[in-house]
Amino acid sequence: MHRRNLFAAPLLAPLAAPALGRAQADNRPSITVAVQKVANSNTLDIARENSNVGTRHFSCYTEPLVDTDWLETLQPRPGLALSWQRRDARSVDVTLRPGVRFHNGDEMTAEDVAASFGAERLMGGPSGVAARVPNEVRTAGRAVFPGLTTEVTGRHSLRFITERPDPALDKRLGHRIGIVVSRRAIDEAPNWLSWARKPIGTGPYRVAEFRPDNMLVLEAFDDYWGGRPPLRRIRFVEVPEVSSRIAGLLSGEYEFACDIPPDQISEIERNRAFEVQGGLIANHRFITFDQNHPQLRDPRVRRAVSLAVDRDAIIAGLWAGRTEVPRGMQFPFYGSMYLADWPKPRFDLAEARRLVRESGYRGEPIPYRLLNNYYTAQTPTAQVLVEMWRAAGLNVQIQMRENWAQIQAPGPDRALRDWSSTVFIADPVSNMPSTWGRHGTYPAGGEWRNEEAFAAADALETEMDEDRRRAAMRRLLTVLEHDDPAYAILHQAANFTGKRRDIRWRAAQSFLMDFRPGNWGV
Amino acid sequence: MLRFLASRLFRAALTIAMVVTFAFIVLRLSGDPAQIIMGADAPPEAVVAFRAAWGLDDPLWQQYFRYFAAILNGDLGRSMRDGRDAIDLVAERIPATLALTIPALFIKLALGIPAGVVAALHRNSFIDRAVMALAVAGFTVPSFVLGLLLVLVFAVQLGWLPSGGQESWRHAILPVITLGVGGAAVLARFTRSAMLEVLGQSYIRTASAKGVPWGAVVRNHALPNAAIPTVTIVGFMVGSLIAGAVVVESVFSWPGVGRLLVVAVANRDLAVVQCILLLVAATMVVSNLVVDLLYGVLDPRLRAAPQGAH
Repeated sequence: MHRRNLFAAPLLAPLAAPALGRAQADNRPSITVAVQKVANSNTLDIARENSNVGTRHFSCYTEPLVDTDWLETLQPRPGLALSWQRRDARSVDVTLRPGVRFHNGDEMTAEDVAASFGAERLMGGPSGVAARVPNEVRTAGRAVFPGLTTEVTGRHSLRFITERPDPALDKRLGHRIGIVVSRRAIDEAPNWLSWARKPIGTGPYRVAEFRPDNMLVLEAFDDYWGGRPPLRRIRFVEVPEVSSRIAGLLSGEYEFACDIPPDQISEIERNRAFEVQGGLIANHRFITFDQNHPQLRDPRVRRAVSLAVDRDAIIAGLWAGRTEVPRGMQFPFYGSMYLADWPKPRFDLAEARRLVRESGYRGEPIPYRLLNNYYTAQTPTAQVLVEMWRAAGLNVQIQMRENWAQIQAPGPDRALRDWSSTVFIADPVSNMPSTWGRHGTYPAGGEWRNEEAFAAADALETEMDEDRRRAAMRRLLTVLEHDDPAYAILHQAANFTGKRRDIRWRAAQSFLMDFRPGNWGV
Repeated sequence: MLRFLASRLFRAALTIAMVVTFAFIVLRLSGDPAQIIMGADAPPEAVVAFRAAWGLDDPLWQQYFRYFAAILNGDLGRSMRDGRDAIDLVAERIPATLALTIPALFIKLALGIPAGVVAALHRNSFIDRAVMALAVAGFTVPSFVLGLLLVLVFAVQLGWLPSGGQESWRHAILPVITLGVGGAAVLARFTRSAMLEVLGQSYIRTASAKGVPWGAVVRNHALPNAAIPTVTIVGFMVGSLIAGAVVVESVFSWPGVGRLLVVAVANRDLAVVQCILLLVAATMVVSNLVVDLLYGVLDPRLRAAPQGAH
């Protein structure tokens, strides 16, 4: 080294320090995660990619305004929003975390949040960038945030206002489609698709490369507000075959393999270097009734369908005991809105037989539509169910279908069908009104309607008094699960991820994969 | 010759039109693309909006004629999943598929034809039985079973090769072998049959009786005459270069045209499916045309025969 350089070295050291820090970043591990599908819509805006597969990675690059504790309580917690205060029945004031940076280097402000929840990204509009927002995104926005507007009150504060009283408005702010993205990035994108394939958010990783139907590569974003990301690079690769995902995990090519069926857990864990993590997620599996089908018009037959199911046997036999029977269509993390005394669905074969006899059912075929293992263990579960129903005197006949459109299509052979319901916020408004409410998917599809249930769902959405809301929820569940059954719950869903045992990482109670600081170690 | 070509091209166009019509009807009657693409949990309004945006709420015959007219104008449509041009989506996948199917075709030719010839020349010997046993095994084992078996041995147990993906030439080895083995087995069986038939002909006996060395008899008389049925099979193989690896691409997570086809069919993404079908049909038609011309090269009698005689 020249003498001149030697003298200059101490002076340059502070300038070199960040560079050294970056160099150290290279020591962070890179991982590969094998998933069945990276994205259904070939886009990365979760409002368009409104799916389980999109849920897996979206929070790595785009974060909802209010964070959720996915590992423990499933309760909302400060994230991009430092605090939120209900102002009245129709509005909530939000204070943003200062100093949060987007992947393009801009600081997050209330204007970005307003654009993210407004016309520019979510609700769409007639002109400018708002005109580019696809209809699918607009309708998703309106469904999750009905009648929502925002009012910027400061650089880091804004007000969320709804048209009508909304008791769950503060919880809705943690919904997955309520991500915050850079307004400048939206404005500068040449079109919606190019933006939606590389959204500029605040997450710990930024999108480096997205090859639809193939892979998504994320790189650490070292200016992340939550600390330095623990991984240098994450590759989500699409491996549609479960056997190929497991083979890749065992051969060391993938650190994680997602969507592992329960019957493969022991196979993977036979090798001590690997384990399968995961368990219950906020999703219930159930069978729905078309109340217009001739054999299901009598509620007693629908009750018998539910009573004939030995759920514990299904869980023990097909789920290796790794899931549970819930207390109706609700989750304990609803907190004060959870009806802890609501009974689990009962298995009572004698009662089922009695109801079938009383109803006058004479063994006419009851069609049962299902897909081939879209849900974990779906087909074997259906085969077991048919035998259980046969024992109760019900002649249920499986009709395999290829896609959801065929499953949902109206017709004389629509009677029973498989379904599941996921909730995204800690409140029953997350799924009840949108499914069984007046404008819900079931009434819209002509499968089921009940004015009493509609009234209860309306109250759930707009009633501010918690006791009355609890009463509405109880009434809704009574109609849905007893008086005029709309479905028969099977069990809570579970999701399993195979991984290297030496990696210290915890699976979330969701499809979401958390690779933030604090949930990684080797 | 021109009339021959014109008649062939007309039949090819008719075939393609029938394929396109059949695919349109089957895909459109077996599921609503809006519901499938939007997902099971999509709000009803979103599904309605999607249908309106893509004209799926128009009568089926209108959609059909609109689609057909667009094709005639050279517009193969856009993917309903992300709005991109179907031809662009397909074109960017073709190199990946050819990276598997062309080396696999060479394996098929390099293994299948010599194996069939050797088996025929050693008819009813141990060599014949061994070759045919291998051929039957290669022919009957489904490609997804063979692929998984290779993955278990070479990726999981030995750790020599990657189990899937498309990052380097090493990732192509197992899928190419999987594709190649099945095709080689088919070729071996056809070549053997063709050779046995030719070797039983009187002109082979005559050549041998004249004292022509056996090697020369095989090379100059048997092989060219046995090539015609083999060329037909190879023609089919060349024709399936574009979409002949659907299963193997799924097993090995190889992002080629085959996987795109699976995804597009599952989503009822009509424009993409049709675009792939058109390409496959066109490849098949060109390949068959070349095979027809090769017949004439291989068999001078066919060259001299009046058109349509074969």
